[in-house]
Amino acid sequence: MSTRLRIFMTGVGGQGTLTATTLLARAALSAGCDVTSGEIHGMAQRGGVVESTLLIGYKSPKIGHGEADILLGFEPLETLRALPYLKPGGLVLSSTECLAPLSVATGKETAPSVEEIRAMVTARCATACFLPCRSLGLQAGAVQSGNIALLGALCALGVLPFGREVVEATIRATMKPKVAEINLKALNLGAACPA
Amino acid sequence: MAHPLLAGAPGETHLFLGNEAIVRGAIEAGIQFVSCYPGTPSSEVPDTFFRLSPEGSYTFEYSVNEKVALEVAGGATLAGALSLVTMKHVGVNVAADPLLTLTYVGSPGGFVLLSADDPGCHSSQNEQDNRIYARIAGLPCLEPATAQEAKDMTRAALEMSRTLGAPVLLRTTTRVNHLRGPVRLGEATVLPKPAGFQKNPSRFVPIPAFARPMHLRLLETLEKARALAETSPFNTVSGSGTVGVIASGISRAYLADALLEADLTGTVKVLDLGFSYPLPEKLLEGFMSGLSTLLVLEELEPVLENELRALAQRLGLSLTILGKTPGLLPRFGEYDVAMVAAALRQALGLPAPAPLACSCGADPVVALPTPLPNRPPNLCAGCPHRATYVAVRKIFGDTAVYSSDIGCYTLGILPPLKAADFLLCMGSSVSAGCGAAKAAGQTVVGFIGDSTFFHSGITGLVNAVFNRHNILLVILDNRTTAMTGHQPNPGVDKTNLGDNPVRVEIEPLVRGLGITNIRKVNPLNQKATLAAIEELKDLPGVRVLIAEEPCPLFARRAYGQKRTQVAYVAADCASAAADGTCGDCLNTLACPAFYLDNGKMAIDPILCAGCMLCLQVCKNIKARKGDA
Repeated sequence: MSTRLRIFMTGVGGQGTLTATTLLARAALSAGCDVTSGEIHGMAQRGGVVESTLLIGYKSPKIGHGEADILLGFEPLETLRALPYLKPGGLVLSSTECLAPLSVATGKETAPSVEEIRAMVTARCATACFLPCRSLGLQAGAVQSGNIALLGALCALGVLPFGREVVEATIRATMKPKVAEINLKALNLGAACPA
Repeated sequence: MAHPLLAGAPGETHLFLGNEAIVRGAIEAGIQFVSCYPGTPSSEVPDTFFRLSPEGSYTFEYSVNEKVALEVAGGATLAGALSLVTMKHVGVNVAADPLLTLTYVGSPGGFVLLSADDPGCHSSQNEQDNRIYARIAGLPCLEPATAQEAKDMTRAALEMSRTLGAPVLLRTTTRVNHLRGPVRLGEATVLPKPAGFQKNPSRFVPIPAFARPMHLRLLETLEKARALAETSPFNTVSGSGTVGVIASGISRAYLADALLEADLTGTVKVLDLGFSYPLPEKLLEGFMSGLSTLLVLEELEPVLENELRALAQRLGLSLTILGKTPGLLPRFGEYDVAMVAAALRQALGLPAPAPLACSCGADPVVALPTPLPNRPPNLCAGCPHRATYVAVRKIFGDTAVYSSDIGCYTLGILPPLKAADFLLCMGSSVSAGCGAAKAAGQTVVGFIGDSTFFHSGITGLVNAVFNRHNILLVILDNRTTAMTGHQPNPGVDKTNLGDNPVRVEIEPLVRGLGITNIRKVNPLNQKATLAAIEELKDLPGVRVLIAEEPCPLFARRAYGQKRTQVAYVAADCASAAADGTCGDCLNTLACPAFYLDNGKMAIDPILCAGCMLCLQVCKNIKARKGDA
């Protein structure tokens, strides 16, 4: 397959950023893509930022500034922070639901509001798609499935070299039936968002 | 169902983490003995071996430190077992003593050292380049760049080591350990049972008379390895032209992508150097002859570059060699595709690339409108280390110097806890703390975790007793090795696979050193902890406070511990932002469950771990039942 694609993913420790990355990488592999993914998560479990990558048609697992075709943000502030990785004309998919850093939650610093983040992101990329991942996850049956909703929206935009059915099959093949049902529901809820 | 790492059939393709691919490579080689000390980015290798150990046909252990791990595996290979020892780069410093003699003594069963280096210091205190250990110790060195190579090179390294009877270095970097990619499986080998140690003192005991011929034999072995490198499938030449690139490690991936994106694939001559030491000099002579310019791609130190310069000089080649020395590529941090592309253009005499642009505008570094609040890692809600730090700070404030160590508790560096003033390496809290106290008579409190104490804190504590140092050492015993992923250590009750049947107790061990001023507390009981610190505070000599309480993340999983209470803020709390008169809880604890709700202090009932530390800090915080 000749498609080349770089996807940068970012979120907060515990959100399931890496689960989503691995799921998408498995789906890409089963679709016959030449896939590599990478992750940096030294102290992620302790509330830090988790960044991961998925590349199709490349050998490197790393994405530099201005190189990503797609940015997936599982938390809006992290979406904004990762924008320098997006190349001109790139696509952003982001959750709209914030997890405030401790300094913000305790009033020591301020962060831009979701509306401000949305405006700043929209002004700085070609296409942006926002969805309430956490709520969609809860609607599907588990808050952790919110990240799969973001993958659903990504599938619906038709920018991947494989379709949603490949992700569905990967969910069925790699998750326990009960968990798979919730994630399939989240995938579909997310897929219904970009309109 | 058996895991594909163990039971996957030849020809199958699986998506593996680089570290999982290393495990599969070892299994394919017929691995018999694995030891380690965990540490990012190496940890998934031993953790996977541990998880699979009930079904695997190898012996596995978490050793107490890297030196011990290397010695244990060294003994195993002397007794004929195909052995692997894994550690992070700085761990090799700890293991350097046995390593540099094991290469003299040799490894009859086969022996591979995995050194997981960390350019960019993603999770380490330095970014040392362990390829230098290949040179100083005399280790053939393989450096994978993909998951497939991680598997293939691990297998090849183990097989080569067994054939040569000499230790081999498998050197990875964070990007390789933590990438995922497709891996096509090979056939797993079953080796005969280890033959046992064969007595031969002149071969295995490096007294000076025997060490001299051993060194000669090592040099001969390295020449045999060099011959293998000449024809290794991991050293490949592609493309053509008078500009050449020699790349090693993950730089090979960046080079491939840089060539692809600039549509230059095939127009430069490329040597992928996967088997990077000893240098395949004949292959290199053929490669470099006829080149006008050579670009050397390697992260960190100019190891290959300097060796290639020396080789070119010896061969009388007058080519221009580019790398670190002309200031083209950095000697620190990681490379990336853009950096390699820029260096490549310079080597080709092409104009510099267009300035980097991103979606936000011309310069990604200044592209964002405002500085964003950071999200530094923090001690978890319910972490007992927070409770210990709060108590110590309450008594010593800034009057003591806090000698820290390596573990989750290093995160105590951040305000408001500010409980880490200096740090060198694993175990240094004790010994460096002693030295700091002695030099100018300052009060020093050292902090060390249970696993780090077993790793190399004990030796420092013995020294502290022997040399009559003045230190209050706080052993933060959270019943596991939390930072690297809850690996067992000698003191734990539980492992991820069940109970630990043999437990080394810290308190009697410390008592056995002759230390009498010892207190043991649960730090979540602030009153008792404060009282214990008060008692130890002004006593002379070595004092030890053991603050014992399991890591809540581990306790949930391993002990099945449930939360019984949740903290909440009473309605009449005059909180921080309201009038500025209070805020003790916010300003002293920095608990991730705390937040301001319209200026009023609040506790997130989902994030609260139920440790009830905050109730002991402020009377306006109350408990209610809650098992969410």
